[in-house]
Amino acid sequence: MTFIEYQALTPSQKASYKIKEFFSLLPGRFKSFFAAIGKFFKNLGLKFVGGCKGYGSRFTKGDFATKLSYIVMGFGNFTRGQVGKGIAFLAAEILYISYLAGFGLKWFDKFDTLGTELTHQVIDEVTGRPKSVMGDNSMLILLYGTLTILLTLVFIAVYIANTKAAYEAEQSVKAGKKNLTLKEELQEFLDGKYHVTMLSLPVLLISVFTILPLVFMILIAFTNYDKQHTPPGQLFTWVGLDTFRDVFKVTEGASKGYTFWELTKWTVVWAIFATFSNYIIGMIIALMINKKSIKFKSLWRTLFVITIAVPQFVSLLLMNQILQDDGVVNVIRGYMGLAPISFFNSTALVARVTVIIINMWVGVPYTILQTTGILMNIPEDLYESARIDGATPVVQFFQITLPYMIFVTTPYLIQSFVGNINNFNVIYLLTGGGPNKNPNLYQAGETDLLVTWLFKLTMNSNDYNTAAAVGILVFIVCATLSLITFNMSKSSRNEEEFS
Amino acid sequence: MNKTKRFCAIALAAMMAVTAFAGCGSDGGSSTASNGGGSNGGSGDSAATPTAPVGDTVADPLYGEGENGTINLKVWGPDAAQEILKKQCVAFSEKMKDYGDVQIEVVPQGEADSATQVLTDAETAADVFGFACDNINKLVKAGALLEVTGAEKDLVESSNSAESVAAATVDGKIYAYPETGDNSYILVYDKSVVSDEQAKTLEGTLEACKAANKKFAMDAGNGYYSCMFMFTGGLKIDGYADDGETQKFTDYDEATLVNTMMAFSKLLAVDYKDTLLNGETTKVVDGFKSGTVGAGIDGSWNFASAKEALGDNAGFAILPTIDVNGTATPIVNMFGYKLIGVNSQTAYPNTSIELAKYLAGEECQQERAEKLNWGPSNTTVAESDIVKNDQALTAILEQSKNSVLQVSVADTFWTPVGTFGNMIVDADKPLTEDAAKDLIKSTISNVKDE
Amino acid sequence: MIKSYRLSRMISDIVIYVILGGLGLIWVSPLVWLLFHSFRKEGGVSVPYVFPKEYTLDNYKALFTNTDVFDYPRWFLNTFVVAVFACIISTLSVLMVSYAFSRLRFKSRKMFINIGMVLGMFPGFMTMIALYYLLKAMNLTQTLPALVICYSAGAGLGFAISKGFFDTIPRALDEAATIDGATRNQIFWKIILPISKPILVYTVLTSFIGPWCDFILVKIIMGDNRDNYTVALGLQRMTDKEYKQTYFKQFLAGSVIVAIPITVLFLKMQNYYVEGVTAGGVKG
Repeated sequence: MTFIEYQALTPSQKASYKIKEFFSLLPGRFKSFFAAIGKFFKNLGLKFVGGCKGYGSRFTKGDFATKLSYIVMGFGNFTRGQVGKGIAFLAAEILYISYLAGFGLKWFDKFDTLGTELTHQVIDEVTGRPKSVMGDNSMLILLYGTLTILLTLVFIAVYIANTKAAYEAEQSVKAGKKNLTLKEELQEFLDGKYHVTMLSLPVLLISVFTILPLVFMILIAFTNYDKQHTPPGQLFTWVGLDTFRDVFKVTEGASKGYTFWELTKWTVVWAIFATFSNYIIGMIIALMINKKSIKFKSLWRTLFVITIAVPQFVSLLLMNQILQDDGVVNVIRGYMGLAPISFFNSTALVARVTVIIINMWVGVPYTILQTTGILMNIPEDLYESARIDGATPVVQFFQITLPYMIFVTTPYLIQSFVGNINNFNVIYLLTGGGPNKNPNLYQAGETDLLVTWLFKLTMNSNDYNTAAAVGILVFIVCATLSLITFNMSKSSRNEEEFS
Repeated sequence: MNKTKRFCAIALAAMMAVTAFAGCGSDGGSSTASNGGGSNGGSGDSAATPTAPVGDTVADPLYGEGENGTINLKVWGPDAAQEILKKQCVAFSEKMKDYGDVQIEVVPQGEADSATQVLTDAETAADVFGFACDNINKLVKAGALLEVTGAEKDLVESSNSAESVAAATVDGKIYAYPETGDNSYILVYDKSVVSDEQAKTLEGTLEACKAANKKFAMDAGNGYYSCMFMFTGGLKIDGYADDGETQKFTDYDEATLVNTMMAFSKLLAVDYKDTLLNGETTKVVDGFKSGTVGAGIDGSWNFASAKEALGDNAGFAILPTIDVNGTATPIVNMFGYKLIGVNSQTAYPNTSIELAKYLAGEECQQERAEKLNWGPSNTTVAESDIVKNDQALTAILEQSKNSVLQVSVADTFWTPVGTFGNMIVDADKPLTEDAAKDLIKSTISNVKDE
Repeated sequence: MIKSYRLSRMISDIVIYVILGGLGLIWVSPLVWLLFHSFRKEGGVSVPYVFPKEYTLDNYKALFTNTDVFDYPRWFLNTFVVAVFACIISTLSVLMVSYAFSRLRFKSRKMFINIGMVLGMFPGFMTMIALYYLLKAMNLTQTLPALVICYSAGAGLGFAISKGFFDTIPRALDEAATIDGATRNQIFWKIILPISKPILVYTVLTSFIGPWCDFILVKIIMGDNRDNYTVALGLQRMTDKEYKQTYFKQFLAGSVIVAIPITVLFLKMQNYYVEGVTAGGVKG
């Protein structure tokens, strides 16, 4: 379709054309996403190689001060008027070395075996009473060893930057230029390099408290850290991909593999139902509240929104109580002469439907809040032309409102889809994973999601490695989904238009 | 222990701190150092300052630990026992004042949780702590408990019931001091609904409840309670396999087991399905209060509330019998003990051992039986009037003779056995013989993590 | 024609009122139940009727007087302090990160954004042990600052919505300011922040509520140090097996007290919240 043809369309045709285009391009975007991942790693590699390449040539080309910077960091900058920068580099070196000497090295040393000395008890000769002799703690070795490795990587980057800075300072002196003073450099951090100022604190916090534990957890999936190898009394060690093999191996009867597939199926079903039920019901309620002729809008909205303000664990524990076999819902059913329903402890189907419905109670208010604004922005002429065609409100909803909203809010939808895959609270507090009526599931009940299962694996049966492996698999799915949507959403593609 | 640690850490950190990270480093180092220091220090001190040899009239039970200043200990006990525990700790300090200044901090920490806490971080955990005996294996494997040896071992063995000593034993070695002998559940009933005679059989109890239009409450979906279905049928747990973690089961007769399961299922899921109230055990006492429950299966920790709710009508009896193909079979349950353990990482092992010995001793058990109604593991206290005159304590001590010891239970046991219970009482799908056989197979396989 | 149109509109309005009323009732009734039963005098966990038979203030009084086992006032204060500090650090982190990603152009920016997007998606439970020992290495376990760190350290990863919001502010504003000689620092504080009130409120609200809801992490970090528990953990413990029978009514009363300030705050700020999330979260 040419541009002129497009211009000739009515607004509603334009919208539907755009929507169609959006969905037909989806597969292609998947493809380009994986291409982008490949490119990402290629670039990372190139950057690394590039950094190393200059390393040698700068050394041979540089003068004495630059060469000395390869050992005493910051020396080159220090002698060329950049005292502050020089001291900063030197401080980094001293910090790193004292860290290694005082702490890092002894943990890193055992990183390959994760410890060999068992903790045990001996009888004290004098008192005749037992005392314990501490051995290695595999978990601490893994954790602090990982910390050391990450810090080393950071240090290498700083070190390379140091050689580069020394060389550049030398070149600019040779060229007769004056190097920036400390004050000027600092000022640069408020303007040209403002992103460094803005990002360094969050990045530091995230690195230490998110990335490091994350790497630790990923590494655990490759060890035999389970109930038979729990520190400090026992050691665990590297086992490669065995854990993943367990997770994927489906055998006859009860097994981790069977449980993984069963829970994956239910997790997907749950995520789809939980996401769309919230989305559609929330939108319909928002439409009703915002209908022009409806009065007391803020009252209606408050009625729904008030549930958001109650902490979720309270409202979920409350719901659990209300829906017990002898809870208030069954009491009311009794008044009406109906037989009580066992919401959480009869069949899997009843429990699953119950959690999806309760999840609506929890989630719909968010949808109401989030979609109200956008619903107001749907071009009125879309509806007008539909009304002229004699479309009923229901038809209008499914032919105009829903497609338009899905089109506009895809990133939000995917976000809540991912959020529901990881929706720990609702399942954990409401059913605790029950009913436990499928004897073939390993340490799981029939409403357990993968994420609550991995919680049980860590807390109840201490299968840390299995839990870590499941966590990684869940993560890969969620990360792929959200990267694709984020990168294809209009906001990401068009953001460069601003600059 | 806490304070010294912190002081050591600060001192060491101050000495070594060059940087923020080096600071962390020194701290991590210092905690290990102070541990080593703690346990080695004990022997070092006693070697340097020889204490009076054993057998002498003034033997130092603390082996010189009191000579270097105050001994700071931390003790964990449940909320309900705080007051008594504090009093007993003061009494202990008083007894030890000739040998050292023992300062004891009593911190509330339930017995069910304490093992988890010790395993998360033994350094900050209490020096002496109470825990439920099903955790002993985990704790011993993690090296968290000091073994009970020598004179202490003899004392524990001679003064406590054989079952409670077995509950504190792993691989033939004793690792803890038995504290109570009542960690289990029995039949609790409203005497105005169920007569003492009816309470002897499950059929009678259920019939009485049904006749009075009341419920029979139990938690059949919880492995702790539902294991009685399998134990009664002869399938019992039998410690661990050679790897020390995989649950072993006793040999069982499949026909008997299936018949027992079918008998339970017929009663609870068919004949009296509307009488059964399956859910948390709080429903038992709640039901007594509101008059909706006639009888239930509840644990010793709720006996006081049951007495409060029912007053003189509160009835306690051993678990009833169930009719399996014409034979009245007594129901077998799981029976646990609360134990007191000494943290292997304590800085004052000798004082801690003395304290644990004292808290688990006859005097303290007697006091707890009187004030808290805790059933004793001590054989002398078990014979005392306070126990004999209490229907609940008598019943639960009686039940301990027909039960499976809650020790060496794998972590993987509870969930599958909970499922096992759910399937038996499932009114939508009463158990068939084939289903029962499949259920046995999958439950065993899941518990063993095969 | 017009008459029938009006009639059908009236009917549809009535239908909508009925539906809204019914749904509103469903949404509010659990909270009403909570409110009524927090004043219940008789019974334990559950009672076989809808409304309590006798009402009392004892459950509330006990929360503040019977503090041996559950020191509710202290935990409330702890939570408040932690929430305030965590909220300040989180808000700053989020705004800084999203401003940098939205308005500044630098090398590897796209890479940072993508990494940031996915990092927050790991299920957190496995990392708790690592987190505990990291904090222990810093001698922070069992302290409130540890909680502040845990709740705010990763906050920067939640930049998506506020980045979306910043994206909608025209770049011409920045350009004009640059021409006038303003540095990027000045632009952020003097130009962008003042017009970002909705997203500011949104971020403050969400990060303030966080600490009131977590009971898993705080349990691991605080261990046996009950003085430093937070309200959420305290309330959750009241529903533990050993306490539930005695403390359930107090749990209900405690929940009401927690819910009140957050509800008031939320209802007051609702409009900003909506504005922020609409502008930032879902743009066409």
